[in-house]
Amino acid sequence: MLVVCTVPSLAWADESIIEWVARRVTDEIVQPLAQREGSRFSRVRQPARERRVRVNQASFSVDKRGREFMPFAVDVRLGDKEWRENDIVGCIYRGSGELFVNRGGYRPAAFLLGKNVDPVPGACEAAPPPRRS
Amino acid sequence: MARFFAHLPRRILLLVMFAGCALIASASLVYFDWDTLPPFAIEKLPVRFETLWLVSLRLHVAVALFTFPACLSLATRTLRRRRTVHRWLGRVTAVLVLFGLVPSGVVLSFDAKGGLFVTLGFLLSAAIVSGSLVVGIRAARRGELVAHRRAMQHVLAQMSVAVTSRAMLVLLDRAALDPDLAYVVALWLPVLGSAAAIELISRRASPGRPWLSFIERIRRAVYSLTHMRARGVHSPVARLGR
Repeated sequence: MLVVCTVPSLAWADESIIEWVARRVTDEIVQPLAQREGSRFSRVRQPARERRVRVNQASFSVDKRGREFMPFAVDVRLGDKEWRENDIVGCIYRGSGELFVNRGGYRPAAFLLGKNVDPVPGACEAAPPPRRS
Repeated sequence: MARFFAHLPRRILLLVMFAGCALIASASLVYFDWDTLPPFAIEKLPVRFETLWLVSLRLHVAVALFTFPACLSLATRTLRRRRTVHRWLGRVTAVLVLFGLVPSGVVLSFDAKGGLFVTLGFLLSAAIVSGSLVVGIRAARRGELVAHRRAMQHVLAQMSVAVTSRAMLVLLDRAALDPDLAYVVALWLPVLGSAAAIELISRRASPGRPWLSFIERIRRAVYSLTHMRARGVHSPVARLGR
């Protein structure tokens, strides 16, 4: 598993946040997915060779309910050894550490592990910037 | 001894298919855990008609887990010799295939990963299965056992795509082929290859027949079905004396 920070100039300031996001995504998504993937005699995609977590922002965004979240992406390397970017796109909420993934709308990350959960309206959607009068 | 070796390839093939069927069954147990989404569904969702798709997926898996081993069993000498068991198991299997496996497979094919080309591959396989099954049933009812056997071999060959296709997916993944291309190759090659193999075997068994005769039989069977439906509509009018 790799962690990639794509904003290196700001990384020093928010390194702990990025590390926290990467650790949470690894613990809650990447590792459980790797454990579920065995050798498969099925039409499901063959097990990933490798996954990496990317955090593209250095600071949190704020949603319409005023909660802070950080978007992330997980890239995957399959049998052909090419990296496929944005295999999983999601966000994590500050404080609660709730994880959401985009699968036809943002659903709780438990969806990737088999829980049938519906998209949560407004999750991971940044609020529009305040109007200047 | 010579007879044993003559039947050996067929027996090995049946054993491999039974083993593949067992592997698929073990990988499919998760489909019957109603509280958990199976990995295939997680990969595919969201789809246009989610409930219909999920019901079709579970129905397809459940029916396939019965009908594939049933078809393999029907092809064994043991069951071919037991006519009553062969007939009744054949009837039950045929009904399940025609009204469960094929329709649910058609629904799933429209959201198949790999797009239109893969959809067409699944639809072709479904057409061969249903067409051959109708031809095979009609042949059995007429007592034409050679034609019945040939048609049912086509059904079984298309069902065996479930095993050969999955085996190819594993092998092509090991060969580091692009997964999207691998999915297309691992579908079309077994579908066309299985149909061609049965045609070649049938032709070798009866060299005098043109290879198009089988397609012609499917065409006739479909024509007779549509003709029957047309008669069904007109017959009440005839009874009224108009």
